[in-house]
Order: sequence, then C-alpha cells, then structure tokens
Amino acid sequence: MSMSDGLDSAALRKRLAALEAQGEEARQTIDELKSRDALKTQFLSNISHDLRTPLAAIITHAEILREGMLGELNPRQHGSVSGIVNGGQQLIDMIDEILTYVRSASDQVSLVRTEFSITEVVDQVRLLNEALSAKKRLTIERLNGDDLPPVYADRDKLKHVLGNLIGNAIKFTGDGGRIWIKFARRGVDGDELLVEVGDTGRGIARDHYELVFREFAQVDSSPSRPHHGTGLGLAIARKLVDLHAGRIWVESELGKGSRFFFTVPLNPPRD
Amino acid sequence: MAASILIVEDSALVTDAFTVLFGEAGYTVHSARTVADATRVGMEKSIDLMLLDLSLPDGTGLDVLGALRESGRAPRATVAMTGHADPQVRQKCLDAGCADVMVKPVPIRDLLRQIERLLD
Repeated sequence: MSMSDGLDSAALRKRLAALEAQGEEARQTIDELKSRDALKTQFLSNISHDLRTPLAAIITHAEILREGMLGELNPRQHGSVSGIVNGGQQLIDMIDEILTYVRSASDQVSLVRTEFSITEVVDQVRLLNEALSAKKRLTIERLNGDDLPPVYADRDKLKHVLGNLIGNAIKFTGDGGRIWIKFARRGVDGDELLVEVGDTGRGIARDHYELVFREFAQVDSSPSRPHHGTGLGLAIARKLVDLHAGRIWVESELGKGSRFFFTVPLNPPRD
Repeated sequence: MAASILIVEDSALVTDAFTVLFGEAGYTVHSARTVADATRVGMEKSIDLMLLDLSLPDGTGLDVLGALRESGRAPRATVAMTGHADPQVRQKCLDAGCADVMVKPVPIRDLLRQIERLLD
C-alpha cells in the first residue's frame, strides 16, 4: 500500500474532523460534570442549612424543659430530655462538618492568619473533650511545647484539625487508653512545627493509611460498624492543613495505636 | 416594666421556641418574619433588644437594623444569629451595629446571660 493510498488529504480531513468531534464531546462532558458537581455542592450546602433550623428549634425546646423553665422534672425525665439535647447537638456537629467540607472542597474557605500559641489551642481542645474522654477513662496529655514560639496560622482552622484528630483518637481508643499530643521543630532554621496526635487505640492497617483521609471513607463502612460519623473528619483535616501548605499523614500499627502528624509554619525567627 | 425583645426570624419553629424561652424568662416578646414586618414592628413598638436572623425572605436582617437606625428607632442592643461561624459575616454584623453575633443554636443559658448583660 502506498502512502498516498492511506493518507490522502480527504482521509486526513475526515480523521481530523472525527478527532475534533471527539474533543468537543469530551469538553461537553467535562462541562456537564463540573456543573453537576457545582449543583451537588449547592445542594449539600442548602440542605445542611435547612437541616440546622428545625434542629435548633428542637434543641431550644428541649433545653427549656431541661432547665425546668416549664416546671421541675424528675431525674428520669431530666435524663431523657438531656438525651434529646445531646443527640441534637451531635447532629448539629455532623451537619457543621458537612458544611465545612462542602466549603473547603469548593474553595470557599480562606485563611485568616494570626500569631497564636498552639499549646493554648491544644489545651482548649483537651478541655472540650474532657467529658467524653472521662467516660472511657482515657488520659489526654500534652507532652511538651511550653517553650514553643507562636505559630502563624488560622487559629480556628487549626483548632478544627486538632479537634478532629483528638476526637478520632477518643473514638478509636478503648477504655483506659492513652492519647498524647507532642511537638517537634523541623525544617530549615526550625521554621516548621510538627504536631503529633498519638493514641493506644485499635490502629490502622498500612493499606488504609491513605484511605482514611478520603472523604466519606471509613475503614469499616458496614451498617453494623461500631463507630458512626460523617467520614469527613480526616478529609477536612487534610484540606485545612493543605491550605496552610502543610502536610498530614499517619503512622500506625494494628492493635497498638496510631500517630497522626501534621506540619504548620512557625513565625520567621525574630532578631 | 418587662424589657421587650423582638425576634426577627423566618422559621416559625425557631420563633415558637424563642417565644416560650423569653416569655418564661419574663420578657415581653414580639416577632416578625420579614424585613418589612420587622421594620414596621420596630417603628411601632418600643423594643429593647432585637434578635436578628440574617437571611430573611425579602432581604437580610441587617436591612432591618439599618432602617431602624436611620429613623432613630434602633433598639438598645441587637444580637445577630447566624448558622455558621464565619469571621467575615461576624465583622459585617459588628460593623452594622450589632452588639454581638451568636451561632445557632445558642445554648439557652448563654443566650439569656448575654441578653441580661446587654440590657443591664
């Protein structure tokens, strides 16, 4: 077969037209996927907002009852109404987590950086989790950090990251276990802070090190799994650390525990 | 005379809950669901404190505060209520003259304490 048989100009034009048509089709598919993704994001955002409103009313009514504003409750009634308040609050927290995820996934989140003490934030998060950890007789210790310089980051977002990591550690560590937070300076001139949140919990298999950071992923996703949640906590933590140009990862051993690490910039050293 | 609170909120469920709460706490309670309604109530009644939901069917809660301030009828204190703790929204509310911005649902003890403090 000669060259002119296979590649005459008419055949070339035809192939070119076919390629262009394919390219156009691919572009249309991408556009459609993008617009569907935007719709999904908008839907999640709206539904999160709309779920919050009736839930806020339920919690307020239950709190009015619990506070005895409509008459004293006996201890059993008080316990039952407290259950409504706590359950409602847990639902609000989950909805907020979805909302935070939706915002961070669609790049609607920006950083408000200030100088602050990270150990103070860690201590606040420990305090917030005191009741939960006491129930399982867990100890949460901050092992060092008193001499650290301030970090330069978004305080609320790092608090969120620490809250998610410590919350997870509480969830996956058995009664009487240990959770710790530890710091190390690294990088050129020690300008980066490495934060470690460790636990003596059930651990994560090496195959799942990446999976746990994926949205909606839970290592055990069966309906009978012992731990429920949105499956967004670590995905959000990763997004918020990424925004700070940091890194987040896990090292773990099944049955022994996990250590989550993330890095965050420290202020440039001053003269 | 009992201090009066105007609840500006488009959800009847939330308004009902607040009406019970503030009524039991001894306040005189008024409510409105839209910017137009809230502005009218604010003009007609003497309001000590306004609780402001930000998203209303015909505008934002801050429109109500703006209209009342312009007519010299602003309450002694206004507290904005938002669904999400966004620092930019918070700043916008404070700039518009709100005394505080609280994230819904506010634990009722905190809410009552804050209102008492603002009306003191």
